Amino acid sequence: MVSYIKSNKMKNKCIHKDLIFYLDNELSVEKRTAVEKHLEECADCRSFLAFLQERLQIIEKEKNPEVSPFFYTRLSARLDEKTERQTQSQWVRLAQPAFFSLVLIAGIYGGLKLGSNASSPKVNQQTTSSVQMLNDFATEPIESFLLGEL
Amino acid sequence: MDEAQLIKGIQQGDRKSFQTLVETYQLMVVNTCLGIVHNKADAEDLAQDVFLEIFRTAENFRGDAKISTWLYRIATNRSLNFVRNNKRKRFFQSIEETFTGGRNRTSEISENRGDQPDRNITDEQRSDLLHRAIDRLPEKHRIAFTLNKYEELPYQQIAEIMEISLASVESLIHRAKKNLQEQLLDCYKKKCV
Repeated sequence: MVSYIKSNKMKNKCIHKDLIFYLDNELSVEKRTAVEKHLEECADCRSFLAFLQERLQIIEKEKNPEVSPFFYTRLSARLDEKTERQTQSQWVRLAQPAFFSLVLIAGIYGGLKLGSNASSPKVNQQTTSSVQMLNDFATEPIESFLLGEL
Repeated sequence: MDEAQLIKGIQQGDRKSFQTLVETYQLMVVNTCLGIVHNKADAEDLAQDVFLEIFRTAENFRGDAKISTWLYRIATNRSLNFVRNNKRKRFFQSIEETFTGGRNRTSEISENRGDQPDRNITDEQRSDLLHRAIDRLPEKHRIAFTLNKYEELPYQQIAEIMEISLASVESLIHRAKKNLQEQLLDCYKKKCV
């Protein structure tokens, strides 16, 4: 009785929502029979079934493509490249800190050297100027300088 | 050469074992990626990335799952990442087009299709419609659907790959098909392709 009522309802109403499961054979025997009966009478559902079937068949057509014959050759080349890059980066990882340490040491040494060179003439200069001033006082006393101004 | 020997060889850096693995599984990996990215060249590039990752991380393989399960997991993850990055790129491109005044050509084509009842529908347009519908599925639905349709895997194996229960896989595939059917019905009613 229930199935009779259900199939009677199916006659009047479109069953679009069941069609994908009908195509995939996932309906119960009872429901499948009812769908088939409805399809005999409903042109719209038949048309949508054909539409759906056509679209879903695309998956069948495009799956399992032919893989490029050079797939492994390309992969192997990429693997070699990657290994080489890894070895290079290992070297870079070791060489970089060593290089920067050397630059730093050279900078400190250079700075010290320059500093020591720059300080000695200054001291000499200061000494000579003070000596000169002393000598000036000795040669020309302040009293005679002031008298000379007058 | 069995799976354990193959993995042991790869863990020791043996190229011959790696080549055997690649030749055995390359079609499976390319097909899985193709189901998600829908472009053969991209699928092959992604498959190469999958095998490179296998070679690099072989020492982490504990052997409690099959090699194919491991490959399926990496292939689906990488493909989904690829699709996400592409979406992001397209999003920024569309913003750029908005500011530069350019129109998105694909949307223009699909809008015009409904106005041409006697149009000559090519296979390319049909597959484009199906791909767009699959791409709109939530990620988990998409993985389950792709593994089931493209790889014809049984629900139990899909459950192992996705690390979920069998009932969840059944539900995911059921909802994916329902969603896909709704999208296609919508398109059928609008007579888009």
